[in-house]
Order: sequence, then C-alpha cells, then structure tokens
Amino acid sequence: MTLIFAIAAGVVFGSGAFLVLTNDLVRVVAGMVLISQSAVLVVIASGLSRGDAPILPTGDRAPSDPLVQAMALTAIVIGLAVTALLLAIVARVRATLRSLEVRELARDEAAHTAELERSLDTMHERLETDEAREEQ
Amino acid sequence: MTSLALALLLPWVVGVLLLLADGRRRAVGWIAVAGLLANLGALIWLAVRVLPDGEQRIITGGWTDGVGIVLRADALGVVFALLSSLVVLVALVHEVLEGVRSRTFPALVVLLATGLTGVFLTGDVFNFYVFFELAMIAAYVLTAYGDDRHQLGAALIFAVVNLVGSFLFLIAVAATYHVTGTLEMSEVAGRMADVEPNAAILIAVTFFVAFGTKLGLFPFHFWLPAVYAGTRPAVAAILSGALANIGAYGLLRFGAGLLPNELELGSAVLIVIGSASVIYGALLAVSRRDPAEMLAYSAIGQAGYVLVALGVGGPIGLAAAVLYAILNALSKALLFLSGALRGALVAAAFAVGALSLAGMPPAAGFLGKLQLFRTGIEEGSVALIVLLFCGGALSFVYAFQLYQHEFWRGRRVATGTDSEPGVPEEPSGVAVRAVSVALAALVLALGIWPEPLLSLSADAAAVLHGGVPR
Repeated sequence: MTLIFAIAAGVVFGSGAFLVLTNDLVRVVAGMVLISQSAVLVVIASGLSRGDAPILPTGDRAPSDPLVQAMALTAIVIGLAVTALLLAIVARVRATLRSLEVRELARDEAAHTAELERSLDTMHERLETDEAREEQ
Repeated sequence: MTSLALALLLPWVVGVLLLLADGRRRAVGWIAVAGLLANLGALIWLAVRVLPDGEQRIITGGWTDGVGIVLRADALGVVFALLSSLVVLVALVHEVLEGVRSRTFPALVVLLATGLTGVFLTGDVFNFYVFFELAMIAAYVLTAYGDDRHQLGAALIFAVVNLVGSFLFLIAVAATYHVTGTLEMSEVAGRMADVEPNAAILIAVTFFVAFGTKLGLFPFHFWLPAVYAGTRPAVAAILSGALANIGAYGLLRFGAGLLPNELELGSAVLIVIGSASVIYGALLAVSRRDPAEMLAYSAIGQAGYVLVALGVGGPIGLAAAVLYAILNALSKALLFLSGALRGALVAAAFAVGALSLAGMPPAAGFLGKLQLFRTGIEEGSVALIVLLFCGGALSFVYAFQLYQHEFWRGRRVATGTDSEPGVPEEPSGVAVRAVSVALAALVLALGIWPEPLLSLSADAAAVLHGGVPR
C-alpha cells in the first residue's frame, strides 16, 4: 500500500513539476495544484493505522488514523486558497500584459531591467563628467 | 499563559477586521499600528516571564496532553517573535506615514505578523506549517503591492517558488509524523534518535531545502533579487527583516533542535553552501548599481553567515547564528527603509545601517561578526576565518558604495540638473525620518551596550543544545 501511495505521489508531483515549467501561466497554476495534491497524498499515506472510518468506529476493526485526515483537510483548504491567489495574480498579469505566456512576462521584465540600466548609465556618465570638470 | 494567547489572538482579530476597512485611510493605518503594538506588548510581557523561568506551554482547546495542539514559548521563539514583530511594526509605521496605496495593505501586514508570531510560538510541527502559510500568503500578496506593473512577474515567481518550498515542507512534516508517530516538537526531538538513519537524513534534507528556499541561500536564491528590487521599501524591509527570519528560525529549530545528529552529519555541506552564499552574494552585490538589487544580493550573502555558524554548531556557533540573524534583520530593515528617504539625519541613519552590515564597531553588526570570528577560531579552521574576513571586507565595499551613490553623488546630480526625473529631492516628512532614525538609534544602542543581546542569544541557543545558559 505504501508503495502504491509513493508511486502515485511521485507521478502527481512529477506531472505538476512538468506543468510548472511550461510556457502557459494557467498550466503553471495547474502544476501547482498537482504539486499540492501530491503533498496531500503523502500526508494521507503517512497515517499510522488503516481500518474503519474514525468518526464511527464499529468495534470490529481498529479505526484508521484520524490525525492525518485532519492534516489532509487543512492542507486541502490551504491549497485551495493558494490556487485562488495564484489565479488572481495570473488574471492581473493578463490584464496588464495582454498575454498568458511566461516568455512574454520574462521579455517584459528584461526590457524593464535594460531600461533601468540605461537610465543609470546616463546618470553615471553625467556624474563622471561633472566630477572631472570640478577637479579641473 | 494569557500573554501567549493574547499575542496570537489580538493581531489576528485586528487583521481580519481590518480587511473590511479601506486601508488607504490614515485612521485605518493607525488602527493596524495599534494592533501590532498590542502584539508587541503581549510578546514583551511573555518574554519577561519566559526568559527567567524557562518555557511556557498551553494546549489549545483544553484538550489533554498529547491530543491538543501545543503552543509553546521558549527563549528562542520569543526572541525571534519579538524581533519580527518589531521590524514589521517599524515598516508599517513607515508606510502609513508615507501614505498607503492599497486598501488591503495594513490588514495584510497585521496578518503577516500574526503568522510570524504563530510560527515562532508553536510547539507543533504541523501547526508550524499552518502559521507559516498564513505569513507566506500575506507576503505573496504584499510583493505585488506598489505602482510598478513589472512587480507582478516577480510576485508570481516568488509565489510559485515558495509554494513548492512549502509543499516540500509539508511532505517532510508528513514523513516526520510517519516515522515518529507524533507532531509535538519536544516528542519528535526525543524519538528522532531511534529512527532509521536513511529516513532521518531524507527528512532533514527536505527540511533544509524548504527553509533554504525561504532564506534565499545560494542554490535556491534565484527568486530573491527580482522580488526585492521592485517592491516598495517597506515591503522589502518586511521580507528581509521579518519573513526571512522564518528560514533562520526553521533551520535552527528543525536542524539543531529536532535533527541534531543529521545536522552534525551534514555540517561540512552546510559550511560549504554557506560559504558559497557569502562569496556569491557579496560579489554580485558589489557589481550592482541599483540600491534595492544590491541589498537583495547582500541578503543572500548574509543568510550564508547564519548557515556557516549553524554548520559549525555547538554553544558558540548556535549563539552566533541567533545573534547574527537578529542583527542582520535589524540592519537590513534599517537600510531598506532609510535608503528611500531624503533629508537631514537620513544619511546618518543609513550610515549606521551600512556600518552594521559591514560589522564596524559602533554599530551592533560588529557583535555578530565578532561572534562569527569566535566560531571560526573555535572550529580552528583558517579557511573559515579567511572567508569571514573576505565576506566582511566585500560587504564593507558594497555598503559604502551604496552610501556614496545614494547620498553623495545622487544628491548632487539632482541639484545640478533639472532634467533628472526619478530622484525626489524634497526631503521626506519629519515623522518618516524619525522612524528610521529611531531604528538606527536602536542599532547603535545595541552596539554600545551589547550585554542584553549577547545573553539573550546565548539563552536562545541554550534551548537548542540543552546546556545551561552562560
């Protein structure tokens, strides 16, 4: 059983990591959802006992570990909140950039950095000439 | 007991209520400041009780021991909680005086402070994750705060990278539960020694990667410069002065507190990664011209020092790591806040921060560097001492390069030519400057009268190695 859980969590995490590295921002968010689900799988798999539903133990079999279920529930809620937040950021990126591509985002940022550097360049040049003039 | 509950409850309630109000109004900003002041007050009250008589614990919800979630305040947690709360408060006051630009900003800052307080005061591994996410989610939103639309890309990268770190942390928590059968930190520490070494090492590595990502250590640093460079100074101060403390505290608590054997096993690796961080961060900081970017790379280097001290370990190394984390948070917050201001005394405040970062005597940063040298001598490693010296020299170079660019040359350019756009030359408001100057005065005071801070860090480290505080 542990092996099945381990393989499942590994496959889900791997697929999530693959999606995070793609070019489409919505897929990146989907990848994060998958990674969070793989963490939930690991949490469920880490339970110490398996058996009946812990909320209504019948007495025939030992109940399964309730603690991991509480943890998984919390992790799912946090994952949901984070997904909503990521989608909101992506929506704002789309509103300002009119694009959903990671490359477009990177290009915009590179252009911005280059512009910043250029403005610093002219400032420094002027400083140098000012200083040279003053020294004379 | 009540102070522990109040320290968590007060800012949480204030933060949730503030979400309903428009944060751009002055009054709402001041209510947020009042909430944080209450948090800080409760923490001070807690510290007064915890520091002389050891730890305090409550089990939430009145459950019996072993069932409920444990909140626990010991010297290490209280020190970090006080520090983070102070830095967040100063940054919030700074931003409220400058004018808040988004309606959720004050509420998010207060919720972030709640999350941080919870992280440092919880005694439960899974509860640590919950508070940690509370603080991180507030931080994800805060990084997008400001006028710059380029900040969105940085915020997205920050969120994605740190979320992967968080989920790795959750996986490590689940693994810890599976091998030890408990989530309470003190129980975990007791049972970890009997765990099969392979499993323990895997868990330790996963925790290390998770906290290394938060702290921005060398191989996991790639998200950090873009985020710090574009945010407002107050947010940058919160990120580097308060949020990065989670990484340092996590490494100390989980490394030295819960997995001491694995920490000892990996000490060489930690020292190597820490050294790489120190050199890499310092070299890149020297090469940058944009002040925020320079400080961002310097943050990578400073995180390396904490890791080196942790790697050396022992009472002296751990005390040095705690002390260095505290001083670095204070001087980074001071530099980010005062670097954006203009006017009388601001340059002096910035210079105090720069001196502290470089580790020069009158400022408090000197103590941190001194303790690090002591760890180097304790370890008896010449290479380590040379590394610390080189790192210190480089940080001196970039800190004062920044001072020169910002306060000597920048001013002259703007007064000499009218066409210079960016640099605002009218001096900032007196009150905003007073905040930075007060923080600078604190850094100076800690440097001149170091005894309380030294004993505090020794007490905090004593929690971890279990020895008697000296």
